[in-house]
Amino acid sequence: MSLPAVALLGGIVGLDATSFPQVMISRPLVAATLTGWILGDPASGVALGALHEIFSLAVLPVGASRYPETGTASVAATAAMLSSTAAGTWSTLLVALVFGLLWERVGGATVVIYRRSIEKLLLTTSGDALPSRKLELRHALTLGLDFARASLVTIGGVLLGSSLVVHLAPRADLPAGLIRGAIAVAAAAVLGGTLGVFGGWSERHKAFVLGAVAGCALLALR
Amino acid sequence: MLVRSFAVQGSFNYRTLIGAGFAFVLLPALRHVFRERPDELEAAARRHQEPFNSHPYLVGVAAGAVVRLEQEGAPPPVLERFKSAIRGSLGSVGDALFWAGVRPASVLLALVLVVAGAPFWLAVPIFLMLYNAAHVLTRTWGFRMGLKHGAGVAAGLRESVLLRAVGAAASIGAFLLGALSLLVAAGLLTENSALLTTIAAMAALGVGLAVGSMIRFPAVVALGLLLIAGLLRGALS
Repeated sequence: MSLPAVALLGGIVGLDATSFPQVMISRPLVAATLTGWILGDPASGVALGALHEIFSLAVLPVGASRYPETGTASVAATAAMLSSTAAGTWSTLLVALVFGLLWERVGGATVVIYRRSIEKLLLTTSGDALPSRKLELRHALTLGLDFARASLVTIGGVLLGSSLVVHLAPRADLPAGLIRGAIAVAAAAVLGGTLGVFGGWSERHKAFVLGAVAGCALLALR
Repeated sequence: MLVRSFAVQGSFNYRTLIGAGFAFVLLPALRHVFRERPDELEAAARRHQEPFNSHPYLVGVAAGAVVRLEQEGAPPPVLERFKSAIRGSLGSVGDALFWAGVRPASVLLALVLVVAGAPFWLAVPIFLMLYNAAHVLTRTWGFRMGLKHGAGVAAGLRESVLLRAVGAAASIGAFLLGALSLLVAAGLLTENSALLTTIAAMAALGVGLAVGSMIRFPAVVALGLLLIAGLLRGALS
């Protein structure tokens, strides 16, 4: 695995989440696909990314709220999964998915620490607002710091995640059918919970039910 | 200013929120407004570093309006009142339109395509292109609105297509969510079309609809417990 390439991607993804340019390469579906592509297995990246994305749909970065950092976690989890020789198994996917869903909390915590730590950087030594040139330089510096933070979070995630995947996945004695079923059930529950993002059942039940009917039609056409 | 607006949240912090970033975005225009008046330029740069917030894609509305007000020589208290008044609308409209509308709706389209069997090199770019078309158009539109209307931009915002787009994006999102939910419950995501799984998934979907987004944590815990159970089983066998 090319750790520098993954760390670079993690830095870019972490930056995209909030700092620059917010074009959504930080979404788990995109981040995991890109990671898989870099590491030679985009299909596995998409599979993990799609699952992580489903779990992230209802995570909204509104105002100054604290939220998990899904992008870097997705990069780390995908790289960890693909570091295993048993990358295509459901056990490996389960370990990587659970790891990613936990590691995003660590990433989110580093974002909070980072945001608090740059407050003083944006003031003069006497606590006043910065002159114009210094503001531009310090603003650019914060972009660099966020990139570095995200890269380090990704590297940490890859190292820890790889170790967990390699040691835990072969030891998890679970039938593949059970894992697949459990993931489907968990994903369905989370998707149901996501309707609240669009206004909830009372406001959007017609659109939701129409969509489910369209899903049936799509199923019938396959 | 438009290019700089892509980095407006770069220095986001809990003291000034996007205050520093907002001043960063304004600087090219302020240098033009206050050319040959460096003291006034620095005073303007300082006052615009005060706490401020906005949805990042709509910051152009405020930035354009502030530039117009600065050009017209509006006194600092007027600028401060304007920014205080507009920040709430820009935040709530942007959050409703993008974070709770366009973003989940466009990524849901990609997910439906992926789960239905479309190649990733089609689904993922479709998401990125759709989303960023809306994103970049909104940023550009915001700057034009702000520069055109100045202090009256709030009225322009209320009459704009943005508010109507919020409802449309949410309906499209709910539709795609319904489609994806059905496909996932039917087992397409995990290649598991066992009847028991489908029944359990439909029940879980119902629970999720009833509970809301709080279901996320128990769902993650449940997967974690399944993993732990597998490890224990492996250790004991």
